[in-house]
Amino acid sequence: MNYDADVAIVGAGLGGISASISAVKEGLNPIVIERGEYSGAKNVSGGRMYIHALKSLIPDVEERAPLERPITRETYKVFCNKGRELSFTFKEKSKTSFSVLRAKFDRWYASAAEEIGVTISYGTYLMGLQEEEDGITLNTSLGDIRVKYVIDAGGVTAPVARLLGRNLKPEHLMLGVKEVISYVQDLPEDEGEATTVIGLTRGLKGGGFVYTNKDTTSIGVTLKVDSLQSGSIKASEVVENYRAGLGLRGDVLEYSAHLIPYYGWGNLPPLYYNRVLAVGDAAGLLISDGFVIRGMDLAIGSGVIAGIAVKKVIDGSPLSIYEEMLKRSFVLSDMRKAWKAFQALSNPNFYGEYEDALCEALSREFLVNGKQRPTLIEALLKSFYDNGLNFSEAVKEIWKIV
Amino acid sequence: MENSVIPLLKRLSLNKYEVSQESHISINTNICKTCVEKPCIRVCPAGTYEAMPDGTVTAHYERCLECGAALVACPFGAISFKWPDKGITYRYG
Repeated sequence: MNYDADVAIVGAGLGGISASISAVKEGLNPIVIERGEYSGAKNVSGGRMYIHALKSLIPDVEERAPLERPITRETYKVFCNKGRELSFTFKEKSKTSFSVLRAKFDRWYASAAEEIGVTISYGTYLMGLQEEEDGITLNTSLGDIRVKYVIDAGGVTAPVARLLGRNLKPEHLMLGVKEVISYVQDLPEDEGEATTVIGLTRGLKGGGFVYTNKDTTSIGVTLKVDSLQSGSIKASEVVENYRAGLGLRGDVLEYSAHLIPYYGWGNLPPLYYNRVLAVGDAAGLLISDGFVIRGMDLAIGSGVIAGIAVKKVIDGSPLSIYEEMLKRSFVLSDMRKAWKAFQALSNPNFYGEYEDALCEALSREFLVNGKQRPTLIEALLKSFYDNGLNFSEAVKEIWKIV
Repeated sequence: MENSVIPLLKRLSLNKYEVSQESHISINTNICKTCVEKPCIRVCPAGTYEAMPDGTVTAHYERCLECGAALVACPFGAISFKWPDKGITYRYG
C-alpha cells in the first residue's frame, strides 16, 4: 500500500508542532495540516507557558523564542463583597515560566519545525476521514492524504475524535474570553506578573487572569460552560465587567475567545484509539490545582511523546505504549497528582462564599472599636457561621488542595 | 479609554476577519421555537446568536470567534458547525 506520509498531524499548535519535530527526529516522515493561514492564527491561550518541556526539545529556547516576560511575581487578588479586597504577591527571580502571545509564538515554533524538514500545509482543514485496515485516509480541503497513523492535535474541539463520533460535553469545558490591552505594567524588562483574580465573575463558576506581556497586558476570564448555560449573564459582558472591575487603563487591542479542556485526570477522554493518538487540548490535558493552571507544557510533552510512540508502533509495538509512556512522564503523573485539588476546586463555595467569609473574618480582626476583640479563630468561626458555612468543612476542602 | 464597558460590536471590530460568502453555522430553528432559555445567546462570547420575534434563533456567523462553544452551547443539538475556510485571524492570540 502507498502512503503519502507515515503520520498526519492535524493542527500546528504546540502539540502538533512538538509531535512533528519528534517524529522527524525519529526518522519518520510526518505531514502537518493547519486550518489557519499561519500557526497560531486561530489560537488563544491565557498566556503563560512553563518552559521546561520546550527546553528539553530546544535547549536555547530562551534566547531564540519570542517569549514575552519571565513571570517573577505570582499575585492573587480576591474581590469580596462589601467592597473588601484581599491580595498577596509572591516574588522570585525565576525563569521557569513566561508570558506568551500565541499568534507570535506558534509562528516561530512552526518555523523551527520547518527548519528541520517538517512540512506544514496551511489553510488546510479536515473534512472527513476513512479508516482502513492498514491505514487511514484524511479528506482535507486540499485533497486526500493517506497515512499509517494520525495525531489529533486539533485543540480542545478534537476534530478527529468528533469525526469518529465523540461528542463534547459542557461540563468538561471552560470558555476563556480574553482581551489584549495596551496597558504596560511599570516593571523592569526582565520581570512579569501573573495574577489570579477571584470574585469578579460572580454568579458563574470561574475566575480571571492578568499576565504582563512586553508591551501589552493579557486579561481574561475562564468560565465553566455549564454555569453560563444555566446562568443569566452573557459571556461577552462578563469580560467587560471584569476589565472595568480590575481598573486597568488602556485600549483594547484584540478580543478573543477559546474553549479550555476541563476534564481532570479521572475524566480524561481516550488518549489513543484505532489509528489515532491525541495530544494536548485534544486529549483533554490541563492541570488546575489552585496554584498553577497549565496546558501548554502538557501539549508539548504529549506531542513529543506521541512522535516517539508512533515510531515504536510502526516498528511493532501496540498503540497502548503511548499511554504507558505518558504515565511515566510528567504529563500524566502531574495530571494524576492534581486530581484531588481539581475535584475540590469544583466545590461551588470556592466561587464567592468562602472568599466573603474570609474577608469578613479579616474585617473583624482588623477592627478596633473598644469592644472585646475576637481571636483569629473566633473571627473565622463566626464569619463562616454567619455566612451559612461550616469552617471545619472549608478547612477540609482547602486541605485537599494543599 | 477609561474603565467603561466597550460595546461588543466595537470590540469585535478590532479583530481581523475574512468573512466567507457562506455561513458555517446552521441552526435547526424548529427546535429553537420550543426552547425557552436559549442558552446559546449567553454562552457565545461573540454575540453570534440572536433571538428573533418568532421564537427562532438567527446566527450572525461573521462575528464568530471560532472558539467552539456553539458545539456545546445548545442542549438540544440544534446548532451545527463546520469550520469556516476563512474567518478569524488572531494577531496576538
